[in-house]
Amino acid sequence: MIRVRRLTAVAALPFLLALAVDLTLYVLLRDRLPDPLASHFTGNGRSDGTQSRGSTPVFACVLHLGLGALWAGMAAVGDPAVRRLRWLIAAGYATAGFVGYLLAATLLANADATDPARVRLPLWQIAVGAGVAVLAAALGRLLLLAVPTPPPEPSSRPDADRTPRLDLAEGEVAGWMRRAPSRVLLVCGTLLLVAAGALLFAVGPGNAVGVFFGAVVCLVFSCPYVTIDRRGLTARPTALPWPRIGIPLSDVDRAVSRDIKVLAEYGGWGYRVRAGKSGLMLRSGEAIVIRRSDGREFAVTVDDAGTAAALLNTLARRAEARD
Amino acid sequence: MLFRVDPASPRPLGDQIAASVRGAIADGKVTPGERLPSARSLADLLGVNVHTVLRGYQRLRDEGLIELRRGRGAVVVHDTRARGRAELMLKVRELVDQARELGLTEDEVVGLVRRGLA
Repeated sequence: MIRVRRLTAVAALPFLLALAVDLTLYVLLRDRLPDPLASHFTGNGRSDGTQSRGSTPVFACVLHLGLGALWAGMAAVGDPAVRRLRWLIAAGYATAGFVGYLLAATLLANADATDPARVRLPLWQIAVGAGVAVLAAALGRLLLLAVPTPPPEPSSRPDADRTPRLDLAEGEVAGWMRRAPSRVLLVCGTLLLVAAGALLFAVGPGNAVGVFFGAVVCLVFSCPYVTIDRRGLTARPTALPWPRIGIPLSDVDRAVSRDIKVLAEYGGWGYRVRAGKSGLMLRSGEAIVIRRSDGREFAVTVDDAGTAAALLNTLARRAEARD
Repeated sequence: MLFRVDPASPRPLGDQIAASVRGAIADGKVTPGERLPSARSLADLLGVNVHTVLRGYQRLRDEGLIELRRGRGAVVVHDTRARGRAELMLKVRELVDQARELGLTEDEVVGLVRRGLA
């Protein structure tokens, strides 16, 4: 627990530092800044947008604290043992360095200016910003060395004798089905639907079609039916017979029930494909995890996964014995 | 939820399906207000006739455990006592089975229960 908190602090740190630098610079330069000051620049370095002097520190606070909260959140829910999370945090350092530098460069460019329209921020400043980002990322990686990597969790590969089974009489037919509702996909789909409606009203049907399509996809997948029977495991939308994802019994090596952290292990919701594994991620928590005959893993998050896994093992062994 | 039927058993398939649902309600694996699979998809799951499933569902409706509504399918009654009722039905089932083993007639069983109530 303490380790996770420390990781969260390390993830939020660069944004707080960048904010401190930008705010200090603002306080030092305050009397030399024009009001409004140039805040937006075009590719050739000319300014094409302004911002009142007083709103600048507010803008810096919202930007840095917002980004900091985003990265802290990702660090808090992520699995510290996953290497990708460490790169993600390093990317946070790069972002903080880049954004922090550009804000500082903007303030410096405005110093002693009388007309914001004549303030210049040449394009090479972006390159310097990128350099600062790389340095910050390196610093972040160094700091992460101070946070020990926890030993990877004992491999969840199911042992033969730990594989759950179900008592089925000879010739007894058994099947299992359950809805796997996903609040995340439901909310996403609803929001997209509202956005599509707003776009249709405000802009026209051409712009709304894509968003509407996204909404339908989210909603269709928000509550799949997971079925286990003589054919194997099938997942399909409750309302439609298609599309369906299936793992035939002959492809099932072993099935277990295990808790899955969606963001840390699969990086998001929906049908996810990762190296060596794929899965239907509806929510974090209990999931049926199948080791397939080719060694790959398939997972679907659903309640009562223990019963489902036991039935799947039993049916798979029975099918094997029959062949 | 888990459904199991044994074609070799003397009990009608519909009753066996009803028993699966009853057990799941009694265990709390299915909660009040939850929708059961449609008769068609359950029939497909177990490889039985749709009418067999419907007979099982009708039985559960008669026991007051589920509601059957056109278009909404089968829903476990929105009653916190559904679980208790299901557990009671399991005990009734046990009672009947044991009474049959002992060779008691229907009247004798009803008489026993009535005396228990008195």
